[in-house]
Amino acid sequence: MRGKIIFAKISSLALLILSGSLLAQSDLGINGYIQTYNRVRFDDGSLTWNENRLNLNFEGAPSDQYHFFSQVRLRGFGFSDVNQASDLQRQEKDKVYRWGLEFREAYLDLYGFGLENLDVRVGRQIISWGAADRINPTSNISPDDLEDIFNFGEQLGTNAIKADYYWDDITLTSVFIPVFTPATLPFGDFAEAFVPEVPLPPGMVLREFSDKIFLPENKISESSQFAFKLASTLFDYDVSLSYFNGRDDLPLANKVAITPVDTMGSVNLETEMIYPKFQVVGGDMAGSIGSVGFWGEGALFFPDKVDMNIFFQTPVGLQPLNNSLALDDKPYFKYVLGADYTFKNSWYLNAQFIHGFIHERGDDNLNDYIAFRFEKKIFNDEFKIAPFNGVVAVNDWDDAKNNYGVAAIPEITYYPSDNIEIILGAFLMEGKGDNMFSRIKDQDEFYLKAKVSF
Amino acid sequence: MKRLVYFTLFLALFSASGMQLYAQKLSALDILKKADAVVNAPKDMHQFSRMILIDKDGNEKVRESELYQLGDDKRLVRFLSPADQKGIGFLSLPDDVMYFYLPAFHKIRRIASHVKNENFAGTDFTYDDMSSFKYAEKYDPKLLETKEDVYVLELTPKPNVEKEYSKLIVYVRKDNSYPIKFEHYDKAGNLWKVMERRKLQKKGNYWIPMEMEMKDLKKQHTTKMITDKVELDSGLTDKTFTKRNLQKVK
Repeated sequence: MRGKIIFAKISSLALLILSGSLLAQSDLGINGYIQTYNRVRFDDGSLTWNENRLNLNFEGAPSDQYHFFSQVRLRGFGFSDVNQASDLQRQEKDKVYRWGLEFREAYLDLYGFGLENLDVRVGRQIISWGAADRINPTSNISPDDLEDIFNFGEQLGTNAIKADYYWDDITLTSVFIPVFTPATLPFGDFAEAFVPEVPLPPGMVLREFSDKIFLPENKISESSQFAFKLASTLFDYDVSLSYFNGRDDLPLANKVAITPVDTMGSVNLETEMIYPKFQVVGGDMAGSIGSVGFWGEGALFFPDKVDMNIFFQTPVGLQPLNNSLALDDKPYFKYVLGADYTFKNSWYLNAQFIHGFIHERGDDNLNDYIAFRFEKKIFNDEFKIAPFNGVVAVNDWDDAKNNYGVAAIPEITYYPSDNIEIILGAFLMEGKGDNMFSRIKDQDEFYLKAKVSF
Repeated sequence: MKRLVYFTLFLALFSASGMQLYAQKLSALDILKKADAVVNAPKDMHQFSRMILIDKDGNEKVRESELYQLGDDKRLVRFLSPADQKGIGFLSLPDDVMYFYLPAFHKIRRIASHVKNENFAGTDFTYDDMSSFKYAEKYDPKLLETKEDVYVLELTPKPNVEKEYSKLIVYVRKDNSYPIKFEHYDKAGNLWKVMERRKLQKKGNYWIPMEMEMKDLKKQHTTKMITDKVELDSGLTDKTFTKRNLQKVK
């Protein structure tokens, strides 16, 4: 343990010295943006999102052989959490105005590292794979940042070493991730979208729910992950094949303890969750059919089997109630097929058929989604309107009228000048049956986002 | 004998007009090929420029970019400013293959043909305009007029070439074969855009326009591209024009 600490300190010091040296040698470029983002619920006018963000990028290229980049995000997010006078006296002011600092990326690029055709990127980085738009079943390296449920495809940085070897038209990428980083979940009550109805035994009523998440043990054999990708061009299509060996970044419940709290059938649930291991073999392609842009991406998941153990609390302790499977080790296939086209009048259409959303796993639990965006820039590109933008979910095609969900996201963006954008839009949900949009159908909101880049 | 004279005279006249027609056709193609050759004469080019976008009210927006070109069929353009567009890159390769890089998405996207006629990053140039190609390979030329200092050519897209323009009227300088003005007509035959290359300067053996302007008459919007710095024949290789290099931020 002591050895590890010394090693970590020496590594940090070396990185600091290296960074300082790089900064000294180059012109450090600093840019970024400031963004304010607010959301208001239609039904009761409650504010659900209150964010002010300062995003800073630090970047430089000391020579043709090196490049470094770091992105940090300072933000005020959420609402005042003042319960007593002393909260107002805190020097940190964190109860009055909640804020946080997010260290998103910090990496060093080494071009032609050792070999002329080898580029290496080391440090915290976002690695995004796949040809599809925003929903990428082959992209499993960087954890999902699902904080804003409507910002599909956002990812978090993860510590990694990535090596790209270029040989003619072929690129071989290998990635090693020593430390597991979990995904973030949707903020507030939008988390309900990812939580299916919990079937309780007849006569039981849920009173309280609690959970405990077990992260993989912090050692290479448990927390490390690796991946490979081979990319090239074939018959005018960009194609790639990939392999990932690691863990699901979303937790899965594998143990539930039911504790009765009264004689009326009320129970408390305590759940334990883990991050299951899986392997993923993926492929994607992108190109054109005629003048229509076309892409496809698919990933075959090979999960480890996860048992589900349900216990019942009795006066003599926990008694097994039921054992079943939380996740079968049967492979399952997620895929996305998409196309885009710009019409003569400059309307742009982007549509995708998605089998299996980000949070879905297991062959029997994959639903179908149709995502679409119809947009146009108008008035010399000063405005962009997207009146038809959203996702339709169908969880049972045989009874689609009772098993569907819709999220419509009409949006208008105004660009008053370079570097400034103001977005006004709405999240409108509807649905029937048990699917991610019907679970949040009463949470319609409108939003305002303003951003200035510098 | 008289008949023979008439016949010989007829034959001579016929041959002369035929030769003239043939020469004219050859001449249009020759002029265009020469214009292509003069524009793409440098072995390679590295150019820093400002794009000034001017709307109908005279409001201006400025983008700074750098452009790399190798021969006549490889080009890489990268935005240096404004801040929200910095790092956006565009790579044009032979056979109409184009790629687009958006740093925010950490991804390179291949540009489908439906996008090629869309405006490039808010300018009045389309992706196709920004790509590198030889006009003689994409268009059939016709010599419309020979003026005192310019040839006027009409270019129509070859049958198997899809262009947003029904025809181009191109003005090629006689003295150095440089095409200085392009009038772009829409499918309905209306004049749509006018591109002018100005301030031609001789750099070594090559002619380089230090200013280029594309005016969209429908939108009443103009993009002026001003060259601030240009390096010629600096030894660029194919390695600059790769997806690997497209995503490198300088």
